[in-house]
Amino acid sequence: MNIPEGILCSKTHEWVLEEGNQVLIGLTDWAVEQLGDVVFVEFPEVGSNFSKDEVFATIESVKAASEIYMPVAGEVVEINEQLINSPELINEDAYSAWLVKVKPSNYQEDIEGLMEYDDYKDEVQ
Amino acid sequence: MEILKEAKKTCLYDEHIKLGAKMVLFGGWLMPVQYEGIIKEHNATREFAGLFDVSHMGEIYIKGKESLEYLQSIVPQDISNLKEGFAVYCQLPNKEGGLVDDLIVYNVKNFEIDADYLVVINASRINDDILFMWEEAKNFDVQIVNKSDEFSMLALQGPNSKFIVDNLGLKLEVQPKFFTIQKAKFGDIPVLLTRTGYTGEDGFEIIFENKYAIEIWNKILSYKSKFNVVPVGLGARDTLRLEAGLPLYGHELNENMTPVESSLGFFIPNDKKENYNGKSLILAQKLGQKPLRRKLFSFIMEDRQIARNGCDVFVDGVKVGYVTSGAPSPTLGRNIGFCVIEFANLSSSLVTRLNNPQESLGMIIQVMVRNKLYDAKLTKKPFIKKNYER
Repeated sequence: MNIPEGILCSKTHEWVLEEGNQVLIGLTDWAVEQLGDVVFVEFPEVGSNFSKDEVFATIESVKAASEIYMPVAGEVVEINEQLINSPELINEDAYSAWLVKVKPSNYQEDIEGLMEYDDYKDEVQ
Repeated sequence: MEILKEAKKTCLYDEHIKLGAKMVLFGGWLMPVQYEGIIKEHNATREFAGLFDVSHMGEIYIKGKESLEYLQSIVPQDISNLKEGFAVYCQLPNKEGGLVDDLIVYNVKNFEIDADYLVVINASRINDDILFMWEEAKNFDVQIVNKSDEFSMLALQGPNSKFIVDNLGLKLEVQPKFFTIQKAKFGDIPVLLTRTGYTGEDGFEIIFENKYAIEIWNKILSYKSKFNVVPVGLGARDTLRLEAGLPLYGHELNENMTPVESSLGFFIPNDKKENYNGKSLILAQKLGQKPLRRKLFSFIMEDRQIARNGCDVFVDGVKVGYVTSGAPSPTLGRNIGFCVIEFANLSSSLVTRLNNPQESLGMIIQVMVRNKLYDAKLTKKPFIKKNYER
């Protein structure tokens, strides 16, 4: 597992990575480890808008369903279609298995409460 | 963290931690939910062998001149047919026919232990069962002794279990057939060996005094390379039992459902003479002389959503019941579950259809998951073929 440089993490265990004027959003390795085997991702529709901290997806592991919150407000421009048939990729590498690509609407303000990976790790451990 | 202090631990707690288990609270016990992963553990049990710490389960000794008469009065099954060294799956109904628990009764007469019958009960029900059984024992010459804190119990399940048992050097007196129990010796350690389980696979359960738990657990796990046995947590125990169509108390079984309503009518004898708690309703429902108030069904999701415990169930747009258990089935690659449909407010034609397996099997119902309805198909249990060796 490769921790991409520059990722920011939320207290609710999502990660954000800037990619041009869009961002990739996924679930942290710590959160994935807690979930166990992922078997299904319920994605939002491409084109839908979410505010910061709104539920935008649900990840089902064998044991439970977990809601995933938007770390930054914006419009979903792409979902990771690979995960539709291979949700287990999330268990293999939480950082290459991004969930959605978002065009953020208020990025600089929204990332203020997010943590760098090392600080996040300290917080969850 | 207060709750963790109060939680009970089995004698194998430290072994689970060493193996990297994630621990959860279950029925007041801190138990491993998974070691390497639920799907891996599930598949290992179906293909090879899985070892489960089930020491949280309760053991009760029943002894006395009237132990048979007593048992006859509290379970629907006919214990007079239960020969020495054999086991039977039973339910424990209350006066109204709802279930206090489900259990396995073992005839252990002449086992040189202080019991005529051993009863194994659910961990979460130990206190309720004991109080109920004591109350019911008032008019019988019988002693009910809770031995749950003295014994540990392991379940070894899966097709390789029998090879592992062969290798343990247990000095068995008889062939351990399906649903039997016998005294055995693991070295100098006295154990009870049963051929029972909760996975739908061939397998064994081993009961012994607490102090031997670590030695026996590690001995069985030492066959990891030879027979591919792995430790299995409660997560896979749940998916395994669900695939096998086996009910879990508090989900498919409760005080408000008779065994017939919980789809256990198969286990209710028609011809037992003795009276038992709830008999008039249970037997009349079994024989079709009294209507069911509700019924447990098995379903497979048509979609990829997972209907979990508590999800509402709909027929033709009307809410008719709720899901009692639901999970992905690693063996089928589909999402499966149990649900209860309440008959009280349904049209009589729908109730008739639901009561007739030829019409209800294949019927499409809807389950609400995160505020959307998804189709599910009523189906037969078990979801998979059981692999018992009889």
